[in-house]
Amino acid sequence: MAGELVSPTPALRGSARRAAALKLLRRRLIQAVPLMLGVVVINFCLIQMAPGSFLELMTAENQVSDPATVALLRKTYGLDDPVWMQLLKYIWALLHFDFGFSYRQNMPVIQAIWIHLPATILLMVSSIALAVTIGVAAGVVASMKVRTFWDSLVSVAAMFFYAAPSFWLGIMLIVLFSVKLGWLPVGGMMKIGGNGGVLEILHHLILPTLALGLFYAAIYARVMRSSMLEVAQLDFVRTARAKGLSRNQVTIHHVLRNALLPVVTILGVQMGTVLAGSVVIESVFSWPGVGSLLFDSVSSRNYPVVLGIMVLGSLVVIAANIAVDLIYMWLDPRIEIR
Amino acid sequence: MTINVSRRVFGAGVLAVGVAGASRGAFAQGTPRRGGTLVATWGGGEPQACYVPAGGGSSPTFSSSKLFERLAKRNMDGSFEGVLAESWKPSADFKSYTVKVRKGVKFHDGKDMTVDDVVYSVSEIWKKYAVASALTDFAGIESPDADTVVFKYNNPTPEFFFASTLCSPVAYIVPKHVYAGSDPVTNPANNAPIATGPWKFKEWVRGSHFEYVKNENYWKKDEPYLDRLIIRYVRDPAGRAAAMEAGDIHIGVFNPVAPPDIKRLTGTGKFVATPKGYEEAVWSTTLECNMRNPIFAKREVRQAIFNAINRDFIAKTVYYGYARPGTSPIYSPNKEFFTADTFKTPFDPKKAAALLDAAGFPKKADGKRFTLNLLSAGWFPENGKVGAYVKQVLEDVGIGINLTVPDRPTSIKRIYTDYDFDLAISNQANPSEPVPSTTQYFTTDGILKGVPFRNASGYSNPDVDKLVDRIKVETDPAKRKALVVDFQKVITQEAPLLPLVELESITLASTKVQNHSNDPNFLAASWGDLWLAS
Repeated sequence: MAGELVSPTPALRGSARRAAALKLLRRRLIQAVPLMLGVVVINFCLIQMAPGSFLELMTAENQVSDPATVALLRKTYGLDDPVWMQLLKYIWALLHFDFGFSYRQNMPVIQAIWIHLPATILLMVSSIALAVTIGVAAGVVASMKVRTFWDSLVSVAAMFFYAAPSFWLGIMLIVLFSVKLGWLPVGGMMKIGGNGGVLEILHHLILPTLALGLFYAAIYARVMRSSMLEVAQLDFVRTARAKGLSRNQVTIHHVLRNALLPVVTILGVQMGTVLAGSVVIESVFSWPGVGSLLFDSVSSRNYPVVLGIMVLGSLVVIAANIAVDLIYMWLDPRIEIR
Repeated sequence: MTINVSRRVFGAGVLAVGVAGASRGAFAQGTPRRGGTLVATWGGGEPQACYVPAGGGSSPTFSSSKLFERLAKRNMDGSFEGVLAESWKPSADFKSYTVKVRKGVKFHDGKDMTVDDVVYSVSEIWKKYAVASALTDFAGIESPDADTVVFKYNNPTPEFFFASTLCSPVAYIVPKHVYAGSDPVTNPANNAPIATGPWKFKEWVRGSHFEYVKNENYWKKDEPYLDRLIIRYVRDPAGRAAAMEAGDIHIGVFNPVAPPDIKRLTGTGKFVATPKGYEEAVWSTTLECNMRNPIFAKREVRQAIFNAINRDFIAKTVYYGYARPGTSPIYSPNKEFFTADTFKTPFDPKKAAALLDAAGFPKKADGKRFTLNLLSAGWFPENGKVGAYVKQVLEDVGIGINLTVPDRPTSIKRIYTDYDFDLAISNQANPSEPVPSTTQYFTTDGILKGVPFRNASGYSNPDVDKLVDRIKVETDPAKRKALVVDFQKVITQEAPLLPLVELESITLASTKVQNHSNDPNFLAASWGDLWLAS
């Protein structure tokens, strides 16, 4: 949802910039309503098209053969209604922050997701932080040392981590750091029976963060390198150098800031794919997050939970893109986003 | 029955390395050592609830069986032993069984277990959910005094059948004071059970593990030997192998890791692998014919299909030797009822072709006799491979095959609700008692639309129904066995559904773990007697 950029315009300063940001925020929030509606309708319809239902699996697991019981269950879960009615009821419930009930976990959907959400948010945030930090730093180094050993090293490493499947990388990290060296835990979010303290969680977070984050770090490094080289050719950089600023000053204060824009764009777009990637990583590292819940829910046709995660995931992506738009304005005051 | 697990197959050399010395004695050395924490896993995922009254598959059975107890259990030598029942005795007409209930047993919340709990469990949980299909003849249960319950049946009930019912994996005694007046399926206690077993529920960290602690008031004064039991869920088999190698997990049941890892881990001398402990839950891969398709009206067509398939090839190639050709609906480890003297459908493509010709299905100009839809249930990855092989060999004899390998929910719907298949490759896990777990795949009353792992083929034969009815009520063990032998002969000749192969499940354990694999359904045993060597 990153907006259309109009540049150059007179730089917005002070209160004018804040007003512009608020206007943008309001516009994006209004635009998010039909977007969310579309997400709900499309996902609901896709799920309805999948063969097999949670009711069939539930009656199967509970060996329910009595037609009257099945009919009662169908009524209880609203499956007697036509699909359009079920959709309207679901949207109405969502408007009241009711995500439905998960028969499988025997609890409201929002509670089932809430149990797993902190772990996934932690993994996503740490992975993105790692990816941005390493990716930007590596891209800057490569661009400053272009056609040197360091440039080649960054390129080769980026190619390797981009090409390596995350589940394979995860297993290799486990074999090296957990099995062979014994430095880090094999999986889980905390030591069983441990105190669940910050250090304990961080200790468990290192490997999954690396496995998930290095792939994105590779992308950011490549984008950052080319963006840095491109911006370095622009007139204002030459002007800054002509004014007598040092190379490092120009790189950090002028080139880097402007070269970050493509990375920020990709960051917003990739929020959804990071969430999807966590499904695999959570599986490899037994990380008790939403990814594991989503996998189980799809396997068991636990549609209320699947829809709930889709809706929340969409909200995350929309929020991330609004943040990206605001960051654009902060990074480059010349930009006005329509 | 659990179907969401990834069934592991093993290289031919694995057994030689892994199960050497895998006798019971190899897993129980010296005096039990007290204390310690055992971390266990299994070859599947996390359960939907810690306890599912209707069973819900192997995953909740694994988690709940450490907390709940049954009235009886079966031993490795085939004998029955009382658990919460001290003894049981049939009446002269075998229409009732008097069960003496163990005294001095307390639930984890400190309340006494009484005959009221037994009566409630049998009438409200067993009859309605857990073992409903085994209690079709059940007339009720009474408690004449504070130590006794009497099971009443409408017809004579064989002793072996009765004892097997008491041992059913989820035939638990649940606390009436927790479940009475509630819907047992949605009772919150299912996720934090209160029971009588050697382990007390402490915590469920969803997505990670269960933590159970020692029941200090357990009625078996010596048990449990361990202080704590953790059931940890690791979805990825490679992750399980790494966790075991790193010492984070001590024991994995039901094929926890991939074949190369079995070989590697047992090769270190720190682990043992054994196929023991699955004698009362033998799995098979089956092929069933949908009798609603008129092509299958002649049994020669069904026989021809089995004649066209090399079951030995499947066992050796798809399952790497960790399977054996199936020859009967009663599986070969079943000491009570199995017979090798059945109608044989050996691999013989020429005979298959001849049978099909004689049945009126000669090859047409395009080389095909007819085309069938083959569904391989995708809950085990090997089913797809078996499906690919079956497609190939059936096409060799002129039967066109459209193969699909749907996922678990779709397979359940298509096989057991929609009957949307001509041939289906599926799986069963059966105990020794053939009624109803085995017979319900072949009797008319097993045709229950929407109920999985029943008679989906639609096979209905009054002679088979009568034979099964006689097996149900025959109380003389020798005569009963003869009837079950007859059943096997009829079914193998009729061939509506037959096992292609019997599968071999594996437990992988650290050499520190003692007393494991000492129960014919070890996954569903209480594990109160396990201990860790120093």
